[in-house]
Amino acid sequence: MNSIDWERAAPWVVGTLFFCLIIALWEVAGHNELTFTTVMPPPSEFLSMVVESGFRIGLGSQAASLDEAILATFGRVFAGMTLAFIAALITGMLIGLSRFVTWCISPLLYVLAPIAPIAWIPLAIVVFGINNGTAVFIVFMGVYFILTIGTLAEIRRVPEEYVTVSGNLGASKWQRWVWVVLPAILPGVFTLLRTNFIAAWMAVLVAEMVGMRDGLGAIIMMGRNLFNNELIMFGMLIIGVSGFLVDRILAFIGKRILWWRV
Amino acid sequence: MNSLNTDQPRVQSGAGSAPRQVFELDHLTVNFPTRKGAVPSPLQRMNLKIEAGRITTILGRSGCGKSTLLRTLGGFIQPEDTGGVVYKQHFMTGPTPEIVMIFQENNLFPWLTVEGNVKFGLRFRKEDTRDQATAVSEILASVGLTAAAKQYPHELSGGMKQRTAIARALITRPQVLLLDEPFSALDISLKRHMHTLIRELQEHTGTSMVMVTHDVEEAITVGDRVLVLGGNPASFLIDEDTTAPSMLDRYSSDYLELQKKVESVIY
Repeated sequence: MNSIDWERAAPWVVGTLFFCLIIALWEVAGHNELTFTTVMPPPSEFLSMVVESGFRIGLGSQAASLDEAILATFGRVFAGMTLAFIAALITGMLIGLSRFVTWCISPLLYVLAPIAPIAWIPLAIVVFGINNGTAVFIVFMGVYFILTIGTLAEIRRVPEEYVTVSGNLGASKWQRWVWVVLPAILPGVFTLLRTNFIAAWMAVLVAEMVGMRDGLGAIIMMGRNLFNNELIMFGMLIIGVSGFLVDRILAFIGKRILWWRV
Repeated sequence: MNSLNTDQPRVQSGAGSAPRQVFELDHLTVNFPTRKGAVPSPLQRMNLKIEAGRITTILGRSGCGKSTLLRTLGGFIQPEDTGGVVYKQHFMTGPTPEIVMIFQENNLFPWLTVEGNVKFGLRFRKEDTRDQATAVSEILASVGLTAAAKQYPHELSGGMKQRTAIARALITRPQVLLLDEPFSALDISLKRHMHTLIRELQEHTGTSMVMVTHDVEEAITVGDRVLVLGGNPASFLIDEDTTAPSMLDRYSSDYLELQKKVESVIY
């Protein structure tokens, strides 16, 4: 019989227990009708509300099922992040290829990078309208500049020996970028993508709160408009848990697929 | 990529007479370009002939210019045009796939297995993939890495890493192998194994090798010829033929005498 590996299980067990403890305290507070639970109803209340409504959020024609809301948000975040990841790699490598391009683009990058993605929302709505385009664009803007700057830093970190070795073995300039520089920088840029996922996640929720009719952010806004605190709490829980799950998936990819360190 | 300048033909003096040479330094001067103009390296108007089909080792203190010299031989540093490195009767103007370099570290790509790293040497050559697979397994066997073929560099010891790097360099059948302190990070017993291996591979393939090191024992036992570089501007303070069998015996009087002579110059 295999005994449980406590060294590995401990963080999970302790983490889960503590999480449950907080929920339990919250429930107790709810049953004793402490004041804060009128704005923050405990899980038993908001979860039962959602189950009773058959996992459909909202009223009448605006109602959408929960899985649609989750899929909509995930789709936007992944589309935006994937586009930003690819675009950042391409921009970074183009900049790395030519000093002239570096001089042209890098001031622009550093001016645009500090602008919060939320600030782009008004412009994006004008250009794309209130639809997926806006949400994807906001996520893209939230990650692209940081990733590009990160890509440049990663390219500078590629050991000189790699470049010499590949040139020695007959790789052309392009072959060197594809077969050596790209694999050398991928894990580092991906780690950066993971750390910036939170920013992208927040950006899409704000975009959904401001304009979209669907998605997890829209649930919060609907709750606000209907004075439905259960709905708000439920939306917040789903946002938190989904974000946590996506981070675990990204961590898994980073550890299992892009595992090497240069 | 035509890296040999064909506009400047140059006839080697005494061509045809033995021993054949692989490199000739002809008034070689290297300066480092900086923003405030060129900074001279210790290498000023150097002259030297390096024989083909042998191992030449270059010893010297840190900063004496030995690594710069090796990089210039590889074509990675462009010397002043008052002279240069003559390779195959022409002044070198850049790297060529015929001359392969091995470094102290970072030789291997961490995302490829031992096999993948070795195969990388053939990736940019037009050869039958079946021939390539045979070549890879043969070369891995010759450096004793058949069992480690599927392992990744981070799973290897320092010696295995360097053996992989040597295998990848030799699979391309280069004319010249340049080694920049390749065994410095290894412990003494592993180092001696590598010395034997590199000598065997040299005898087997006939590749010309130039190795830079700061280890006197390594220079004498591995090299067929030992050069000591020193001074500023630099010159070859010692130039000894070490092909005699006694030079492989670390307790022979010839060996000890040379070691003493070299150490008195270096330290």
